[in-house]
Amino acid sequence: MREKSWIREYGWILLTGVVVGVAALILTSAGNPKNMGFCIACFERDIAGALGMHSAGKVQYLRPEIIGIVLGSTLAAAVSKEFRGRAGSSPACRFAIGVFVMIGALVFLGCPLRMVIRLGGGDLTAVAGLLGFLAGILVGIFFLRRGFSLGRAYPVRKGEGSILPGMMILLLFLLLAAPSLLRFSEEGPGSMHAFWGISLIAGLAVGALAQRSRLCMAGGLRDVFLLRDFRLLSGFLAIWITVTIGNLLLGSYHLSALSQPIAHSQHLWSFLGMALAGWGSILLGGCPLRQLILAGEGNGDSAVTVLGMIVGAAVSHNFGLAGAADSVAADGTYVIGGIGTAGMAAVALGFAVLLAVTLAHLPGKEEAI
Amino acid sequence: MRKKQPRLVVAFHTTAGAIATERLCQACGMEGRLIPVPRSITSDCGIAWSAPPNLRELLEGKLQQAGIETAGLYDLLL
Repeated sequence: MREKSWIREYGWILLTGVVVGVAALILTSAGNPKNMGFCIACFERDIAGALGMHSAGKVQYLRPEIIGIVLGSTLAAAVSKEFRGRAGSSPACRFAIGVFVMIGALVFLGCPLRMVIRLGGGDLTAVAGLLGFLAGILVGIFFLRRGFSLGRAYPVRKGEGSILPGMMILLLFLLLAAPSLLRFSEEGPGSMHAFWGISLIAGLAVGALAQRSRLCMAGGLRDVFLLRDFRLLSGFLAIWITVTIGNLLLGSYHLSALSQPIAHSQHLWSFLGMALAGWGSILLGGCPLRQLILAGEGNGDSAVTVLGMIVGAAVSHNFGLAGAADSVAADGTYVIGGIGTAGMAAVALGFAVLLAVTLAHLPGKEEAI
Repeated sequence: MRKKQPRLVVAFHTTAGAIATERLCQACGMEGRLIPVPRSITSDCGIAWSAPPNLRELLEGKLQQAGIETAGLYDLLL
C-alpha cells in the first residue's frame, strides 16, 4: 500500500466533508426541513417557487444557501486568482441535461448531497437512490471510455463568468430589501428554514471549501471506477459519517425505511430518478453542487446548467413530475408516496434525451447532424 | 514514507482527451496512467495523464500527430 503525506492529499476534502455535514446538522436544527440541511435540487426548486416559476405553494422560498454556495465559490476563486470566465462547451445540451438531472433528483426527492444526508439520518429509502446514482455513474463512465465529450470550453471575458454570481447578489437583495416581490410558503417544506443569515453563512463556508477541495458527489464515484482514486470519495464519506454521528448525538437518527421526512418508498423510481441524475452528472462533469461551484468560478456553461436545473424544477412542479412523500392517512393507513404517470414518463424521456445527447457527442458523430 | 517522484503531468481541456491519450500510450507501449488533475494545476476536476519525465518529447510528438489537444504539460513531484 502506498504511503503518502495523506494530510496534504486528503486534508481539504475531509475538512470540507466535515464542514458540510456540520453545516447540514446546524441548518436542520435551526429550522430547515428534517434530513435536508442542504439539498441543491430542493433548494433550487424552492427558489423557482419564490420567483413564481411554479405555483406549488408548499415549496416556495428563496434559499440563501444556494446564494451562499455560489458566492462562497466566487470569493474563494477570486482570492486564489482562479476566477476565470469560460464558456462554449455545448451550453444548450448542458441546459437540457440540467433540466433532466433536476427532474431525476426531484423524483427521488433529493440531490446527491441530500441523498448522503438522508443516509446519515438513517433513511433507508435513500439506499435505492444511492444504488441508482451509482448505476447512472457507471453508465456515464461507459460512454466516457468511448470518447463522449461535450467539447472544450474557451476563455471568455470575466463579465460573462460573473453573470450567475451577479444574479445571486440580486436575489439576495430581493430577499432582504424587497421580499414582497417574492413568494413564501406558509406551510410545507418551503416554510421550514433557518434564519437567512445562518443559511447564507453556511452556504458561503460550503461554497468556499468546496471550491478549494473540488468536492463532488458524482466525481467521487467516477474517480474510484475510472482512476481507482479515492480522494473525492473520501469527502462524500466524511459528510455521511459526520451527519450520522451528529444525528446519533442529537437523537435524530432513525434507521428505517418508513415515515422518513420528505421521502418516499417507491424504491424503483428512487433508483431510476437517481440513475438519471447520476448519468447526467457524469455527462456534465459534476453533480448539482459542483455545477454551483463551477458557476461561481466563472464557468458560463455551468451557469447555464444551473439555470437548466431551476427550469427543470419549475417544470417538475408545473407538470406534477416530482415525488410526493410517504404519509399516514387519518385512519392510520400508511400511504406510499412517489410519482405518478407523468413523472414516470418524464424519467423515461430523460433517459432518451441523455442517450441522444450521448450518442451525438461520441467521436466521429459530430458531423452527422 | 514513499518519496515523491518527478512526473510529467499532461492536462486536457476534456476528459475525452485524457482517455484518448491513455488509448494512444497503451497502443504505443508508453508508460503512464490516468490521474485526477492535480489541484496545484487547476481548480477543474478533470483527468490528467501522468508519465515519466523522460517521455516528454516523445509524448508531445505523439499527441500532436494524433491531434489531441492539451491544456499544458507540467513537471511535478507526485
